[in-house]
Amino acid sequence: MAQDSGAPEATDKWFDRASPTYRCVVDPTHQISSLFGWVSVPSAAWIDEDGRIVRSNEGTYPAPTTIRFGLGKVRVGDSAFARATRDWIERGADSEHVWSHEQLAERLKPVDDDTRLAEATFKLALHFETVGDSEGAWRHFTAAERLAPDNWNYLRQGWTHKGTLYASLKVLKRTNYLRKNSDKSYYDPMGLPGENHHRYTEPEWLWTPAVRRIKQLLRR
Amino acid sequence: MIILANGMTNEVTRRSDAKGVLWVRMDELPRATGWQMKPEGACLGELCVPLPANKREEWIADADDWVWFCYSDFADMIGQKYVRDGEVWSLGSVPQVRSVGLESAIAPDFEVTERNGNTLRLSDLRGHKVVLFTWSSW
Repeated sequence: MAQDSGAPEATDKWFDRASPTYRCVVDPTHQISSLFGWVSVPSAAWIDEDGRIVRSNEGTYPAPTTIRFGLGKVRVGDSAFARATRDWIERGADSEHVWSHEQLAERLKPVDDDTRLAEATFKLALHFETVGDSEGAWRHFTAAERLAPDNWNYLRQGWTHKGTLYASLKVLKRTNYLRKNSDKSYYDPMGLPGENHHRYTEPEWLWTPAVRRIKQLLRR
Repeated sequence: MIILANGMTNEVTRRSDAKGVLWVRMDELPRATGWQMKPEGACLGELCVPLPANKREEWIADADDWVWFCYSDFADMIGQKYVRDGEVWSLGSVPQVRSVGLESAIAPDFEVTERNGNTLRLSDLRGHKVVLFTWSSW
């Protein structure tokens, strides 16, 4: 499911490149993340044959992934979620990765007033963006950011309104700040075996290997 | 006037004397908000909220030759957040829907457009395991 206010123009090339054999949908208003309480991508839920959520996580990369930007890149993700998903598909409720009622309750717990107001504000921003009122969109994107500063979906979609380069720089600046000043992670740990959980991942620049080598030599 | 709710954008009639209050024409209420009025109260799918007896006459009123429902007062009562800019009202999620999900763990239903243009409801996939996976281009 592509969660992108620019869909389908922004998402078609990625869909085409993936040659999907599964259902592909677009969600330009972030409706589904609002319903499931996700604040970042990728996110995923397992829903059983009776329509019950049996697991819901953020940071659900299907494989180790390298995200490139200009002269840098970050490495994120692992195969833990894909392995667990295969296990659930084969074993259903017997899978050890199915969540207990308590785990689900923690995930689906009620959200506070600011979070709900942020959602309404963010949707208003998306509307103004759609109708071409850039000033109105930006006003409400920034209001949503103030109300829900930990919601990466709102932050990154809002920053993208000012262009991809602006959004990339904002992400780098904010993750750099949080890496140095916070114990938080970009994604909560999924709690899966073999998970390579990461905090805010440090970018590797084109010159990073050379700098690392020089540091090694200096240490000698 | 425009109401943004449940991922949909709905153009609705504006009550001529509405001042900072969201009045929705009763016949437009289901399309605009998902709620519809029933004898037991305002209902959203399986969820029904009785209207307070002392508010019923105040919230359901005649004007401009139509029957109107005072949605913003109702939203205040159920704790649904909304924000307005000019002629556009944006409604947040209904907290009670989340509470129902918390009790039953039934996934909230939604309707989205498939890439091929078909409409897909999550509830259409009952009987199958579903892996719902989000991504974005940004």
